[in-house]
Formats: sequence, C-alpha cells, structure tokens
Amino acid sequence: MLNEKKGISRGAIITLMIVLVVCILTIVLENTINPNSLLFTVIRKAAVYSLVAVTMNLLNGFTGLFSLGQAGFMLLGAYTYAILTIPTDVRDSIYYLFGGAGFHFSTVSFFEGIIGDSGVAGFISMILGVLIAMLVGGIVAAIVAYLIGLPVLRLKSDYLAIATLGFAEILRAIFQWDKLGKVTNGANALRGYPTFADFNIKNAQGITVLRLSSFIPILFAGICILIIILLINSSYGRAFKAIRDDEVAAEAMGINLAKHKMMSFIISSFFAGVGGALFAMFASTVQAKTFTSAMTYEIFLIVVIGGIGSISGSCIASFLYIACSEWWLRFLDNTQYINGNQLPLFKNGFRMVVFSVVIMIIVLFFRTGMMGDKELSDLFNKKRRKKVKADE
Amino acid sequence: MSNNVLHLENVTMQFGGVVAVDNFSMDINEGEIVSLIGPNGAGKTTAFNCVTGVYEPTNGLVEFYGKPIVRNHPQGKMKKGYLGQNGDMYLGEVISQTPDEITKLGIARTFQNIRLWKSMTVFENVLLAKHMNAKQNVFSATFRTNKKEEERMRRETLELLKQQGLDKYKDELATSLPYGLQRRLEIARALAAEPKLLLLDEPAAGMNPQETEELTAFIRQIRDDYNITIFLIEHHMNLVMDISDRIYVIEFGKEIAHGLPKEIQKNPKVIDAYLGG
Ligand SMILES: Nc1ncnc2c1ncn2[C@@H]1O[C@H](COP(=O)(O)OP(=O)(O)OP(=O)(O)O)[C@@H](O)[C@H]1O
Ligand SMILES: [Mg+2]
Repeated sequence: MLNEKKGISRGAIITLMIVLVVCILTIVLENTINPNSLLFTVIRKAAVYSLVAVTMNLLNGFTGLFSLGQAGFMLLGAYTYAILTIPTDVRDSIYYLFGGAGFHFSTVSFFEGIIGDSGVAGFISMILGVLIAMLVGGIVAAIVAYLIGLPVLRLKSDYLAIATLGFAEILRAIFQWDKLGKVTNGANALRGYPTFADFNIKNAQGITVLRLSSFIPILFAGICILIIILLINSSYGRAFKAIRDDEVAAEAMGINLAKHKMMSFIISSFFAGVGGALFAMFASTVQAKTFTSAMTYEIFLIVVIGGIGSISGSCIASFLYIACSEWWLRFLDNTQYINGNQLPLFKNGFRMVVFSVVIMIIVLFFRTGMMGDKELSDLFNKKRRKKVKADE
Repeated sequence: MSNNVLHLENVTMQFGGVVAVDNFSMDINEGEIVSLIGPNGAGKTTAFNCVTGVYEPTNGLVEFYGKPIVRNHPQGKMKKGYLGQNGDMYLGEVISQTPDEITKLGIARTFQNIRLWKSMTVFENVLLAKHMNAKQNVFSATFRTNKKEEERMRRETLELLKQQGLDKYKDELATSLPYGLQRRLEIARALAAEPKLLLLDEPAAGMNPQETEELTAFIRQIRDDYNITIFLIEHHMNLVMDISDRIYVIEFGKEIAHGLPKEIQKNPKVIDAYLGG
C-alpha cells in the first residue's frame, strides 16, 4: 500500500542498489587485481547471457510461447554487428580467402570520417558506430522474427519450438555457405571489430588508465534488461501474462492474440539480436558454428534454473551457471593427485558430467528454479510487509 | 424492433456428427435479461461460443444491434456431412470474427468454469480489461509516456472494484478469493470492458442459496447501473424465474420453448425435459 503511492517500491530500490554495487565492485576490481583473471571473463559472458536469458524468459516465461530460436537470433545480431563495424582498412585482410570484402561500409569508419579517428574523437566514433551496429543487429533479428512468426504463431505453440529450432540450424548453415563468403566470410571467423576491451580508456601515450571492459557489458545488458522490465510491468506486459495464464480468457477480454504474441516474439528477438552483438564483442570473433542449438539449451537451462517467469532469477542463474561452467568446476577437467596417487575420473570431460548431473538434480527436484516467478524486489518487499505486521 | 440487441437466426453448430446447436433462433432487446436454460449438454455454452467468436457456427447468422457479426454456411467437409437445416440460406458472404474483435464491438462474457488470470491480482485482472480500448502503443506504455491514460485506467478500475465491493481484495491473487467472489470478480472484469451486452454462463454455479440470492439482486443491479442487456445461462431455477424477462429452453440443441417465466414454468414440454417433475 505504502509502496504504490511512491511509484517505486522499496524492493526495487534495494535491487537497483545491489546492481549498482556490483557495477562499482566490477570497476574497482578490474582496475586493482589482475585483469586477466577468469573472474572478468565470467562477468562479461554472464552479463551477455543474462540479457539473452531474459529475452527467452520474456517469451517462454511471460508470454507462454515456447521458442528455441535464441541462438539463431544471436547469430543474426552478432554477424550484423561484426559486418557493420569492422573498420574499412582491415576488411580486405579479414576476407582474404574470398579475395577481399564484398561490402565496405563500416559504421565506425563512417563516424571516424565525420568526427575524427584519434583521441577522444576516435573513442566517440567507435561508441557511436558500435551502438548503431548493435541496434541494426537487433532490428535484423526482429525482422526475421516477424517473417517466421507470421506463419508459425498462428499454429499451436509447440510448432513454434520446432520452427525456431529448425530456423536456427538452417541459418547456421547459410552463414557458413561459401557463396556468401564475401559478406559472411564463410566458415571463417570475422574479427577486427570493436570489442569490450576497446572501451578501456587510454591516455595520450596509449597506456590504459581506466579499465571498463567488464563494466560495459553489464551496462549494455542492464539497459536492455531494464527496458524489458518496464515492458513487463506495462499494460502490454500484463497482456502477455494474461495470454500465458489463460489464452481463452485473454481473447475474450479483447486481447488480440496474434498481435500480442507477435509483439512479444519480435521484442524478444530484437534483444536477442542485441545480445548476439554483445556476444560478438565478448568473444572478439564471430563464427557461425558457435551458435548451435546447444547454446540455446544452455540459455534455456539458465532460465529454468533461475525460475521461469523471473527476470532477476535469469540474471542470477546466468552468473552462477557461467561461473560454474567457466571457472569453479574447471578443476574437474584437470588430473588431480592425492598423496601422489592419481585420482580416477578427473580428466578432460569430467566437468561436463558433473555439471549435467547438477543440472539434472535441479530440474528434477527444484522445478520452480531458484526464484520461482518471484523477483528479488518481491523478496525485499515481503520482508518489509512482515515487519509492518509485527509492528502492529 | 429498433432496440434489438442480439439476433440469432438458424444458428447451427455441428461437431463431426454431433449437432450441438440445432437451427436455433432468438432475439434479445435492449435492457432485457434473457435466460437460456436446458439440461446438461443441451448446447447452451456452445450457443454462447457461437456468439462470442470462440466457435464459427456451421450455419446461420448472428446480428448485434442490427449488424451481422457472424454469418456462415456449411463449407468444406461440412458441405456433405451437414445434418442441420437451412443449409442453403446463408450462402454467399461469410462473416467470421475472432473473440477479441467481437468483445471490442461491445459483447463481454464470463465462463462456466471460472477463467481468471491466476498469476495476477484482483486489481490487475480488472485493469487488463481496459487494455483493448486504450490508445497507448507498446513504446508509450514501456517508456511510461502514457501516464495519463494508465492513471485513468487505474482510477476507473478502482472505482469499479469499489462499486462491486471488491476493493478490499484488490491486491490479493485473483485465484485466492473464495469461489463466490471469484464469480463476482469475473463479472467485474467483464464490466470493465464496458460492454453493451453481457453474457453470463452459469454465474451461480457452485454458490449456496444465500449467495445465489445475493447474485440475483446483483445481476439486476448491474443491468440498471450500467444500462446493459444481459444474456444468462443458469441452472438455478429460482434465480432464472425471478430475474428473467424472457426465457429460451433448449434440448439437444433445439429450442423446445420460449416465453415469459410463468409460461415456461407451466409448459409441459419443459417440465418433461428439464424441470423434470
Ligand atoms: N469442441 C467441441 N467438440 C465436440 N463436441 C463438443 C464441443 N463442444 C461441445 N460439444 C458437445 O456439444 C454438446 C453441447 O455442449 P455444451 O457445453 O454446449 O452444453 P451445455 O448446455 O453448456 O451443458 P452444461 O449445462 O453441462 O454446461 C455436448 O454434447 C458436447 O459434448
Ligand atoms: Mg455449459
């Protein structure tokens, strides 16, 4: 009751503060401890995965549409981003196998031409080029989503999963096709475009004075997630939830199912495209073979572990999942000795076994995931409500 | 007849070999409360579904305020397998609309088995009924530039909840309410869509006699307060006889009688089929 008048609840403020602390901590740590620590790889990748998991949750968790196309939309975003931002002067060397690039426009070079290519001007040109390419990456994914959605969203929702999964696989093949090599570089990697490391601030001598390469992914993903949260809490978000809860009732109350499903699908795919662009920046190379259905399953697992229908769950799960897979369980892959005796099982691949078992346990016994459909802010709000009751 | 609200003409709904609604015609005039009764499986809910766009009737015509909103004739497989009558009366233009389009025309409904949105609060359930008529778009709603409209929708929702005596539950989950209140909430949600015609499918189902009595007064009240017309399916005979201006009775999809409550009560066919002695 109290909260409603203020507009922003106490829980939301606490959540925002936690995010802020994470941001500050990231910046401080990156500028004090070894910047090559695995911790920062985890932060960057988890930030990107958080966004993609949230886009999947928007569809699967909030609209009740089961889609498995996330890797495909990421691929579109990643390729669009890379193709648009590779500076003009290095293009031909990257596409050398195909006798040079077929497409010479670069957003970064374009802004460098207008603003300047050195010092602060160069930095601003890079940022503008990156932002526009990310946006276009999202738009390309959104347009493709529209084209897929047109026939498929009218069918029963199981078909959407099959169609999106198939689409992602086909897309991966198309992007590796030699005939498109002048644009996609075939099966070879695209590189040379701005990555998160390019956001580190350097002084005139070229020495890094402030590292931001782990903060930037949090910032970009955070802004996108914030927009999705605003959407979910708007009238349209409520309409999505109504469709998920009871489609028949939603339609009877005047909600156009086709339109709202399409809207959710397009918005989800747009941000998955942006997530793909961020993934390209994280990985510093783009190659179609990375965007497999295994990637989609990974993201789906994160959504399930975090809780279907919980944005904060997806974010927290993404950090835990990536930390486990990239860092904490790494030791399982290395040969281990106790008192000079080599332990059995500890060899390459064991990590994935343990990991799979852990996930199976979670899926079997904690089906609602860590957060269920609650948000972090709800938890804080609830605590307060209990306190208020105790006071009375 | 200028104040005719709903007009059904030879409406037939056939599922495979089952004719659930058989050549059914009826009229409802402005401000009336008209009931549709009949034994279980008689085709009452199916008739509702033909009006609200959930089903596309196999044959027949539905008009709302004199405008055709549904019109169909046997097509495809039904061309040969059609078991109903008047199969050649409505050849030509087919009119078919989705439920949301029909709701936007001013027909709202409740469901026999309550269909509230279970993850949403009482307030949100009613608020969302305002969504369809809002001018906002997805950008203005996301970036909160529709503040005025959102506030208006919230104000109207709160007002409606107060009128219906549901405001003290507004932050509860809709499905956590007792059964009788869930029924009320479903009616409130339908009213929030600002309909001209309200379709109620067994609103008293599962209610005790006292609740049913309250509901009777409540339905009459909303007809007067909101100036709407009400089309009602109900099994509770006390309620039906008490409240209805006119009654239609169907059995196996066919009309067996219609008229004033006191006529229906005396009709031997109805007593035979339904009131069952
Ligand atoms: N989608 C459908 N497919 C096939 N048959 C159906 C369908 N919907 C209804 N029927 C059949 O149509 C007949 C009428 O059902 P309906 O639900 O309209 O009855 P009702 O009069 O509302 O009964 P009740 O009082 O039990 O609610 C039943 O025999 C039912 O089995
Ligand atoms: Mg029924």
